[in-house]
Amino acid sequence: MTKRAVTVNVNGTEHPVQVDAPDRLIDVLRDELGLKSVKEGCSTGDCGICAVLVDGRLVNSCLMLAAQCDGRRVTTLEGLAEDPSMKRFQGTFIANNAAQCGFCTPAMLMASWDLARHNAEPSDEQVKVAISGILCRCTGYYQIIDSVRQGCRKERP
Amino acid sequence: MSSLELYSPTDLNDALRFIEHEDRNVAVIASGTDLLPRMRKRQVSPSVLLDISSFTQDLRYIRRSDGKIRLGALTTVTDLLESSLFGDELSMVREAATLFGAPQVRNVATVGGNICSAASSEDLIPVFMALDADLKLVSMNGERTVHLRDFIVGKRETAMRPSEILAEVSFGLPEGHGWTAYEKLGRRNMLILAIVNEALALTLEDDLQTIRSARVALNRVSGRIPAPATKTNDFLRGKRVSDETIAQAQRVLASELSLSNDFRASGAYRVEVAQVFLKRLIERCSRMIGGPT
Repeated sequence: MTKRAVTVNVNGTEHPVQVDAPDRLIDVLRDELGLKSVKEGCSTGDCGICAVLVDGRLVNSCLMLAAQCDGRRVTTLEGLAEDPSMKRFQGTFIANNAAQCGFCTPAMLMASWDLARHNAEPSDEQVKVAISGILCRCTGYYQIIDSVRQGCRKERP
Repeated sequence: MSSLELYSPTDLNDALRFIEHEDRNVAVIASGTDLLPRMRKRQVSPSVLLDISSFTQDLRYIRRSDGKIRLGALTTVTDLLESSLFGDELSMVREAATLFGAPQVRNVATVGGNICSAASSEDLIPVFMALDADLKLVSMNGERTVHLRDFIVGKRETAMRPSEILAEVSFGLPEGHGWTAYEKLGRRNMLILAIVNEALALTLEDDLQTIRSARVALNRVSGRIPAPATKTNDFLRGKRVSDETIAQAQRVLASELSLSNDFRASGAYRVEVAQVFLKRLIERCSRMIGGPT
């Protein structure tokens, strides 16, 4: 099987990588680039734990072939670590104990950050829709919903 | 290690030329949200993936012309949600898109992929069937148009030839006093495959009492195949909207459904839900048109 050369912009840096046909975006992000905030859960699009932004849209990185990302712009949690909006969510998630095992937290933060770009005052319902593709199996969703709503506000609560 | 190959054509012609001459088992991949999990579960094992996801210039559009809406096959579900065309009498399209998967899936999943998957759990198939949509299939030999209701011939089986690619879905607006509505039941609200989904396009005569046309379509009518409920549709034509008509239509619908049990629900439960949905759909559409409620 011949590998193909693909260039993906990840967190602002162009990364030339060699990929096989079945390689997925998550494989490149975790195994080639060492971006371990991207978790692999179900691998079938049911849990959403692998969520990243591709060209500014939230997607499941386990359901996208790496070869399909040639020339595209990918953002993971690592790329937003110093972003002011993301820092707000980090603060509210800590304040509300919105992480227990923490496995879903990177994806929840990505979905929160994505929501905050469009909606500064989301309702509970809007937050539920925004995180509806991401499963949390331990914290319970209410601490997360509170954290997302508070973090979306430009001013700290 | 699998011997899977990926072919990324430069344009649509290149893609059509490739599948025209390729003897191996080819799967067309757009976003992959349906295909990749099925490959992972070894439900399908293509030798070659033909990646059409980059043809957004040619195949990702929402146009309205000559009283018809035309959707390029690579239109995403999020594109449907962000379009201004799916309010008012076509609001059913937005309702279905809202209940489709979750944001990460909607952002990439395509209209064409949903139709070509041809599964009984697809959210958009009953919607487009209720709108009596046509499909444009292209190949090296030109293009042909197939009614969606004739396109799905079995569980995950379509009338598409191996040398064809789905290019466009088109449908007319409900004429005159028309409205559309959609209902879906799953085990939870979001990120769930439907137990029953049901769509209705209803038009009333000028008296706003008599049904001019009713097109109900469900994710399953017989076995696991999405289809229009033709007997119910025939029954409703010319009837006055009333509790009696709805009750009779529910019985007709139950008589034409032939549903088996599976791990999601029993056939009897699906029939019950489909009848409840029929009442809701007729009442919702009639109310929005200004007819009896």
